[in-house]
Amino acid sequence: MPVAGIDVGSKLTKVVIMGENKKVLSYVVMRTGTDHKKTSEEAFEEALKKAGVAREDIKKIVATGFGKISAPFADEELTQIMAAGKGAYYVRPTTRTVIEVGAEESRAVKLDENGNVKDFALADKCAAGAGSFVDAMIRYLEVTPEEFGQLALQATRAIPMNAQCVVFAESEVVSLLHSNVPKAEISRAIHDAIADRVAAIARRLDIQDDVLLIGGLAYDIGFIDSMKRELGREVYVPEEYPPEVIPAIGAALSAL
Amino acid sequence: MGKNVDDLAQLKQFKEWFDNRHEYAKKWKKKTGGKVVGYYCTYVPEEILYAAGVLPVRILGSHEPESITRPYLHDMYCPFCHDTLAQGLEGRYDYLDGVTLAQSCLHMRQSYFSFVDRVPNIEWDYYLPFPHGVTNPYAADFAKHEFENFKAAVEDWLGVTITDRDLDRAIEVYNKNRELMTKVFEMRKADNPPITGLHAMYMVVSSQVVDKAEHNEVLEGFVEELQDVENDREIGTRLMLIGSEDYDKELFELIEYGMNYPATFVFEENCTGARYFWGLVENGDDRLMALAKRYVYRVPCPAKDWARGDFFGRRRFQFIEEVIKDYNVDAVIIAQMKFCDPHELDIPALREMLDNMGVTHLHLELDLTQPVGQFRTRVEAMIEAMGEEDLFI
Repeated sequence: MPVAGIDVGSKLTKVVIMGENKKVLSYVVMRTGTDHKKTSEEAFEEALKKAGVAREDIKKIVATGFGKISAPFADEELTQIMAAGKGAYYVRPTTRTVIEVGAEESRAVKLDENGNVKDFALADKCAAGAGSFVDAMIRYLEVTPEEFGQLALQATRAIPMNAQCVVFAESEVVSLLHSNVPKAEISRAIHDAIADRVAAIARRLDIQDDVLLIGGLAYDIGFIDSMKRELGREVYVPEEYPPEVIPAIGAALSAL
Repeated sequence: MGKNVDDLAQLKQFKEWFDNRHEYAKKWKKKTGGKVVGYYCTYVPEEILYAAGVLPVRILGSHEPESITRPYLHDMYCPFCHDTLAQGLEGRYDYLDGVTLAQSCLHMRQSYFSFVDRVPNIEWDYYLPFPHGVTNPYAADFAKHEFENFKAAVEDWLGVTITDRDLDRAIEVYNKNRELMTKVFEMRKADNPPITGLHAMYMVVSSQVVDKAEHNEVLEGFVEELQDVENDREIGTRLMLIGSEDYDKELFELIEYGMNYPATFVFEENCTGARYFWGLVENGDDRLMALAKRYVYRVPCPAKDWARGDFFGRRRFQFIEEVIKDYNVDAVIIAQMKFCDPHELDIPALREMLDNMGVTHLHLELDLTQPVGQFRTRVEAMIEAMGEEDLFI
């Protein structure tokens, strides 16, 4: 009988339906919004529909994410750390370091060769190493998320940004714009600043290859580029599945 | 069927004292006509104050956000310093006659001096120098000399003479309190400990704010009653708490009562736990030397137990190692007050020791209020990772 994993994140809710053979039957990504329970319910129903599975046929549902308590229909809960670790090992078994950058939090998880979580580190009360930072910067530069990443690759020089928080970073961006610094270089500076914060969290662990980047920011090619530079090693992103659904896959795996 | 610990009258009394500590001190003052002195650090030899008929109470915070201490303390001073000073500035310690500090760290000292200067009802204050390197062979002599001056200052303030008999009586009361609390802690070695960390915190912190003789009476009954306690709670992961002062009930409620997985603290190595009461005064002819030795040789605060230049090894680490074995500790929560330099200095070496012992550990940074959701994720993930098997692929 199939199982389900649901990840209620601060920005997006992700649901994965998985067969007994560990095959992903469907996945759904939906904006969490303000009514978490309603969204969880809707995303779950849609994923069932996509997979062609009836609700009563689901053997077990495991919830993860900051809003996991908003999925009262779940049978069990799992922390985001374990979910990220399991999901990352599933999509890339050579992964030893998982770096997840979500909307509000970033975290790093160290795995052993069997996919067990050996250690983890999380960001503390700071949005400068999280997706919401990018959202704020994109608004300020008046670009799309795709353009924002592309722009960084076009930069010809690196400008240091000292900001440790979103609000002060915005004022630094304003100063750079007023100094007629090209958007490409500002974009690179922002990406480098986020990568610096995220890498500092990951360095609390003993970083080992392969490094897999998951979470919404793994879409951003400018960020991937900055992370590679910051860590001085290859950084992979999931190929088969969107990077933000990996923890939901991990939650589903733990339901088996 | 055994008793439930939460139903015990003694535990309710500890909680009542903890919750209403200011009211207790005010009533005590009215009843006895005595003086109340607030102390800033557990290195203050309370026995000397007690021998003079004074009620020593530990100055504590309220874990409520405040904005009134910034003119006196830098933002990057620890939340405990801010919180304690805020209580004074807000008038919650308006019953104190005096305040004292035994030198521990710079943050605390700054908070203390601001308290002395800004809280209007303080008529007596005493800054007590205390040796920094408690592993130094001359530390006890140094402390004894300073205790002599401290005693003379108390006598001068109150116009009394503190006799050896007064000191003996105070030492006896304090030792009894230490013995009884140690007995309670010893019971936590059991597979099914009769109390949780939350209960232990109520017991220890209430002893810091009420008359020890009165506390002893309740404690004696508590020790007796605990023999018959049978808890129906699942013990789960046996945790040890290591770190700064921690009397935030929210943290205990979260970890011991509010997680997906059962977990119970079986020992608290901090100054609101065992570091406060562990180790007796071995009284003798020279009372002040006996007191000096107890305070110098107690389980040290990280501010006193240096990583370098020691003569007898890291006493605190040796103690932690023994506790982990004796209490069958599964995992350690290192809960450090934000910006506490002495703890920050110690943590890398502590982690290394725990790694070498194969003991799982997790570091949490305490603030004025705690980020419950974040802490919950971290502790749950630690427990999940401890129990993880090779599940797949």
